[in-house]
Amino acid sequence: MSKAIIDIENLVKRYEMGDEEVYALRDVSLTIGSNEYLAIMGPSGSGKSTLMNMLGCLDTPTSGKYLFNGANVAEMDDDDLASIRNKEIGFVFQTFNLLPRATSLKNVELPLVYAGVSAEERTRRAMEALARVQLSDRVSHKPNELSGGQRQRVAIARAIVTAPSIILADEPTGNLDTKTGHDIMNLFSDLWKAGNTVILVTHEEDIAQHARRIIRLRDGRIESDTVNNNHA
Amino acid sequence: MLRLSELQESARIAVDSLRVNLLRSILTTAGIVVGVVLVVLMGWTIGGLNAVWEQTIAIIGKDMLYIDKWDWTGGRNWRQIDARKDISLDQAMQLKSRMESAEYVIPLARKWGGSVVKGNTSLMCSITGTTADYANTSAATTLDGRFFSPTEEQSASRVVVIGHGVYKSLYPEGNAVGNILKINGSPFRIIGVLQKQGFLFMDFIDNQVFIPMMAFRAVHGFFDRSFSVGLKCGSEAMLDIVRTEAIGHMRAIRNVPPDADDDFSINEMKAFDQQAKNIRIGIWVVGMGLTILAFIVGSIGIMNIMYVSVTERTKEIGIRKAIGARRSSILAQFLIESALLCMAGALIAFPIAQGIVAGARFLAVDVLEQEWASVISPLIPLDLLGIAVAVSVVVGLLAGLLPALRASRLDPVEALRYEQ
Repeated sequence: MSKAIIDIENLVKRYEMGDEEVYALRDVSLTIGSNEYLAIMGPSGSGKSTLMNMLGCLDTPTSGKYLFNGANVAEMDDDDLASIRNKEIGFVFQTFNLLPRATSLKNVELPLVYAGVSAEERTRRAMEALARVQLSDRVSHKPNELSGGQRQRVAIARAIVTAPSIILADEPTGNLDTKTGHDIMNLFSDLWKAGNTVILVTHEEDIAQHARRIIRLRDGRIESDTVNNNHA
Repeated sequence: MLRLSELQESARIAVDSLRVNLLRSILTTAGIVVGVVLVVLMGWTIGGLNAVWEQTIAIIGKDMLYIDKWDWTGGRNWRQIDARKDISLDQAMQLKSRMESAEYVIPLARKWGGSVVKGNTSLMCSITGTTADYANTSAATTLDGRFFSPTEEQSASRVVVIGHGVYKSLYPEGNAVGNILKINGSPFRIIGVLQKQGFLFMDFIDNQVFIPMMAFRAVHGFFDRSFSVGLKCGSEAMLDIVRTEAIGHMRAIRNVPPDADDDFSINEMKAFDQQAKNIRIGIWVVGMGLTILAFIVGSIGIMNIMYVSVTERTKEIGIRKAIGARRSSILAQFLIESALLCMAGALIAFPIAQGIVAGARFLAVDVLEQEWASVISPLIPLDLLGIAVAVSVVVGLLAGLLPALRASRLDPVEALRYEQ
């Protein structure tokens, strides 16, 4: 395993619901290296969404250590987290989460806007990212003029445009038909082969089988962490 | 620090949001529109009053001093003033012969509660007897005809120059010159009509007629009468010099002991400045009250719609935060939207205010034929526009602050989960 991007030790996330304390994650330790292709699996309520939020720096742990490229995420404030999300993490969501009134190009440019990249450079890099997902002919379309698969490819272009350390995909094929889902999974494989680190969060076994390493969660704990040699 | 690209994006989103919800945006700004219209109208009204007041003072004469038993400001002890000895015509004439710094020294005899009769119509007005020198004051400018001549003055001719108010009351159809008016039973020929001089509380100035001093004695007599003396100084700069000289002569003529107060007053148009100022303050207070009320109501509307906007866009905020928008970016986005909303209100308000201003002026000048109003600007002054825009932007920022703070503090996980 190469240099660790993510280093988690004894991570705990506790929510307080009224008087009751709910543990979404209990004592999770995990190391993810560069250019891994990882799937996080588990039934609903297993804590995989919470783990994804932690990995994506959308949320901070109650206790435990989380180092992202050596920096301690647990101690970061909102703006530091925003900056990490902007530069180091590319999100791909189940529901695409594109801005409905913006064109493909504008959607892909958005992370670069918050990174303070000049307009010219933004357009150049966004066009490049859209080319990588084979959407060069759809740059001025708005999400409602695109198919589900095309929308997810715009979302992937948006995720890779900042050249992040990890691409974090939450049920990326959940809203797509089987054929389109397959195309999207091939795209992730291509990104991994090109050197990206890809983390899938899914409850679908055949989607997880695309990854080279599968982590199974149950009741907030890691149940198994295996290398997947018979990947799809 | 916010980056330029973020600010541009924020502004773009804000404009986009207003455009998409155009009707809602316009309706929301109603309170701001009313507020801005009020601010602009108030400023214009006060500006107009100043212009009219300046005009009145200019016509009546900024360079005039009036020596009188009575004090125009009315601020002093009335009994003390009432106890002053009358100023006689002889004293007035002595002053005239001694004064060196004044351009003209003009004795005036006034009957305040007099009347003029045209046929069967009687009109209350003040009758003023004076010398032909009065023709040299700016107040003697005639609309029609002329002031009386030294010859007419010396021969006590029965000629009269009527004020604008008398003219309007008795000759609404025009052509007053040449007609006969009776003053205390004696017929006088109208030889001139004076231009309009006063407005508002200075209206009484136009309700007077001028006749030669000796003709005045013939109809109303000099008995028990206190004379005034008008001093034309030539320029405002001369006022102090003329005043000092006049006080010295008057004290000597009236034998005022060195340690006693003057037993006469030196009046000037400035005495009425305070009254004009009070009117302006009154308009300002009422106008500001209404304006503040409108802005409060308006900003509540803006705040409300901004909360709606934040709620509607919770998901979008979540997406933006997920891909790296910091709190300040989101804050800026909604503050700019709110400020633009209010600025749009100001922009809607300008043509409305301009329409009201133009309409009011048209009504006054062209329909009601109030020529004095023509000095009032038909246009909203530009600095008022600037102030109104600045105020509306500040109101927008204040009204948008709480909703924008709420948006900026949304938890990205919660926000992403939000579905409408």
